[in-house]
Amino acid sequence: MRILIALALAASAFGQAPASQAAPAAPTPAAQAAPAAPATSTTTAPATSTPEASTTAAQAPAAENPAPATEPWFTGSIDFGYRFRTGLNGSGPAYQSIVDLSPGLRLMGLDFSIVDPKHRLFDTLNVRANNWGGDPYNTAHVDARKQGDYDFRFDYSNILYYSAMPAYANPFAPGGVNQQWVNQYRKNLSLSLTLRPDKRIVPYVTFDRNAGSGTGISTYPQGGQDTFAVASSLIDHTSNYRGGLRIQLSKFHMTLEEGGTTYRNSDSAYNVNPTTGDATTQLFGQTLQLNNLTQAYGIQAHSYYTRALLTANPVSWFNVFAQFLYSQPKTTVTYQDALTGNFLLLNQLLFYSGQSDMATGAANKPHVSGNGGFEMRPFAHLRFTGTLSTDRFHDSAYSSLIQAFLTSGSSVNAATLISPLEMVNYNRAELLLFYDIGKRLTLHAGYRNEWGNTTVTASEQSQIGLYESGKLSRQVALAGANFHPFTKLSMNAEYEGASTAQAYFTTSLYNYTRIRARARYQARPSLAFQVNFAALENHDPILGSQEDYLSRDNSASVNWTPNGGKYVAVLAEYDRETISSAIDFLLPGFLAPDVSVYAANAHLATSAVQVNVPAVKGVAAKLTLGGSMAIVNGTEATRYYEPLVRLSIPAGKHVYWNTEWRYYGYSDQIYLFQGFQTHLFETGVKLTR
Amino acid sequence: MIAAGATLLTATLWGAQDQKGAPSSPPKDNKPAEYIGDDVCQGCHEDIFDAFQKNPHHVVETDKKYRFAGQACESCHGPGSKHADSADAADIKNPAHLAPGEADKTCLVCHLNKSTQVGRINGSHAKNEVACIACHSVHKNGPNGLVARKTAEINQLCSGCHSDIWASFQQPFRHRLPEGAMSCVDCHNPHGGFLDHNLQSMDANEPGCFKCHGNLAGPFTFEHPPMRTDGCMACHMPHGSPNTKMLTRNQVRFVCLECHSNLPTPTANVAGTIGSIPPAFHNLISPMFQNCTVCHQQIHGSYVDRGLLR
Repeated sequence: MRILIALALAASAFGQAPASQAAPAAPTPAAQAAPAAPATSTTTAPATSTPEASTTAAQAPAAENPAPATEPWFTGSIDFGYRFRTGLNGSGPAYQSIVDLSPGLRLMGLDFSIVDPKHRLFDTLNVRANNWGGDPYNTAHVDARKQGDYDFRFDYSNILYYSAMPAYANPFAPGGVNQQWVNQYRKNLSLSLTLRPDKRIVPYVTFDRNAGSGTGISTYPQGGQDTFAVASSLIDHTSNYRGGLRIQLSKFHMTLEEGGTTYRNSDSAYNVNPTTGDATTQLFGQTLQLNNLTQAYGIQAHSYYTRALLTANPVSWFNVFAQFLYSQPKTTVTYQDALTGNFLLLNQLLFYSGQSDMATGAANKPHVSGNGGFEMRPFAHLRFTGTLSTDRFHDSAYSSLIQAFLTSGSSVNAATLISPLEMVNYNRAELLLFYDIGKRLTLHAGYRNEWGNTTVTASEQSQIGLYESGKLSRQVALAGANFHPFTKLSMNAEYEGASTAQAYFTTSLYNYTRIRARARYQARPSLAFQVNFAALENHDPILGSQEDYLSRDNSASVNWTPNGGKYVAVLAEYDRETISSAIDFLLPGFLAPDVSVYAANAHLATSAVQVNVPAVKGVAAKLTLGGSMAIVNGTEATRYYEPLVRLSIPAGKHVYWNTEWRYYGYSDQIYLFQGFQTHLFETGVKLTR
Repeated sequence: MIAAGATLLTATLWGAQDQKGAPSSPPKDNKPAEYIGDDVCQGCHEDIFDAFQKNPHHVVETDKKYRFAGQACESCHGPGSKHADSADAADIKNPAHLAPGEADKTCLVCHLNKSTQVGRINGSHAKNEVACIACHSVHKNGPNGLVARKTAEINQLCSGCHSDIWASFQQPFRHRLPEGAMSCVDCHNPHGGFLDHNLQSMDANEPGCFKCHGNLAGPFTFEHPPMRTDGCMACHMPHGSPNTKMLTRNQVRFVCLECHSNLPTPTANVAGTIGSIPPAFHNLISPMFQNCTVCHQQIHGSYVDRGLLR
């Protein structure tokens, strides 16, 4: 397997010599020609794209602004087929957590556009759907537009969130049950309608819905003595309604929007079979046990909010921007549980056989945000930008909990009433100066001041009362350069250096330096190189603690499409990422000093080589080799390989027969039992028009 | 300060020379260029002209409010009479050959006062002089030609520059971008916005993460403060991670203990860090206590329990 991966990567690397610009970093002539043209979607989205799309995209830069003489009213494609999977070696839960592709008939892609030359109901209608028929992530999109009349969009996605990594929770839990197993679909629906989109006054309405449904295993922690795994049902949904008006004039724009959100959460958990918990030892000679449990949440929330956005340029050299956002979400809580078994009330050294809890509560969080700024160009080569932002909310809540503990022949009742609080005020002011030194070089420098404060509910073991407070005070120096020494080369660098007097957490950014640099060289229209560098170093000056963090990220990519990808197209990327972190803490229980050390040394690579095989009896096949790999050494040493080979053979003017092989291999160098390997084969037909 | 002043002065003089030098190339005549209309442009640039007829920018031609009827090409490229006479590329403005800030001025003549531009100067693209035309195609054919619309194409476009970020998505635990289920703009607003990292926002002012993870938005009765002060990235690596659940550390307890460090209250001049007070006295040698979220499962916030247990 590694030989195949090495071959795929070597092939990419071999093609490094010569590539075409997929996404120009800066306005070059090539960028102007076709800046949005995707070069080889296969390379960045190997799971979904097709060789045909890749070739078409790769050729786009060469075919500047094609304008078909006669435009068909219907264009599109449908791609469907069957997926086979060989036996899965290794951990099934890990495979489901990371990949989760199963065999069966699949609609890989549907994509069509309808153009109405008479502009009756719409000018254009675009429909797209991907990965339907049992895959863990389905998407659909519809948009329709009639110029000057309306713009309509519909988006839907259904993404499975499955997580059951065997070593993640408590691997020694009774029965090997993963106590944080989740198998939940999260569905997103978005509908938006904009009326008169090109006019001065533009009304719009939008509806979004996010819903989760599924099952899992959660835990019922009992009094800090034991934890029992229980089956759970996860149900929630959020609906968001909003509408507004945009007023767009030549010197002034304002958007006023009103919206609202509703939220419901009906999670529940239950247990019907007697079960022991995580505690492996008896307490006072007895084994704790859960016999029955019912647990139900009834959470409802709603919010009304207002947004006001403004831009204006009263004179040509001065622009202003402003946003004002206000929301007031409120939550009401009801919660109940009832359980039987054998439990311990430690503070009274009392064993009891049943418990019921009933909680009510509410949270109210008025949230105000404001942001204003200006951009001033007093001279041809000089401009200033300044922004002032504030974000503040005040989450005040109450929670009432009534508990009853049933012992043999009597009951003990307890009531808790608490008023939790979370108040956060954040402010930021920033001033930047940009100077164009000719057409080739722009420098910028500036200063940012961040300050704020927070008061939050402290942990239950707090010795300083119910609340604790923190402050934020940070000064940041900013600098950067954008350099185009000649048309084919663009470079960009930015620097942030900060000094922090106060921050909220021991792990926050304190005295940090952040550097980013990018360079792109368009050697030829068909060949481009890109290199990126990023580094972040953070040091915490707090006495008695250490918070050192250093990350570096270097990447290089090459994109080569000689002759517009007529014969071969190559894209290869390599990234080397290192993280090292060492943070002091005291071990709970013993309060012994310890250090949390995390190190990662990652080699990440993707590649795609597309070859147009010479025609045999008039049939010209397309072969794609590529995939990705992640080799991570360090604290969490893992290997993850995703190579693929795809063959597309035209079987008619509008018919392609596609065959694909993919391999998924994952290994964890510490938890060896989490590894898996499997092969997937897909064969199908793509019809185009 | 002196050095900075000297640098600025030097730069100013250099820039002034450059500025002075550019127009100093001898003009072919002193008469200012005049508008000549699209028909003349079409004569040589027919392919671009034809494509432009299906392009959303064609509205400049048809909508009287733009005051460029019949002169759409010159609305961006400026008066073209000299270029038409000489056929010399130097005789007409080409935004692709300008400094990004200058190129953007052409676009912003019409687009400045639009809702998409409200967060522009907050955004990193504007700060780093990424011009509009780095992502947007001005002439391209078709109503969707202005910019990538399909998920894979959007990801391709962004990763063209952000290849280091795209590499993070090759790790096993990641958001589903390589699979085509999501795109970069689902989370980031390339035009800039209110939040750091060009993050999308939802509702009035909440991070866009909650658009898909609505069950974590709250408000909770008992909040977990980093959720609000530092955001999801306090604990997660959203682009991809070798760690389960995209966590920043491979074992959950270290994610927690680095903040809940039990270390003494900071000294007076660095007062005010929160969360360092002992959260518990568990014996971490026991596997039962090695993953804090097994019990503290409502780690994003709880409606019921102060200890985030349920």
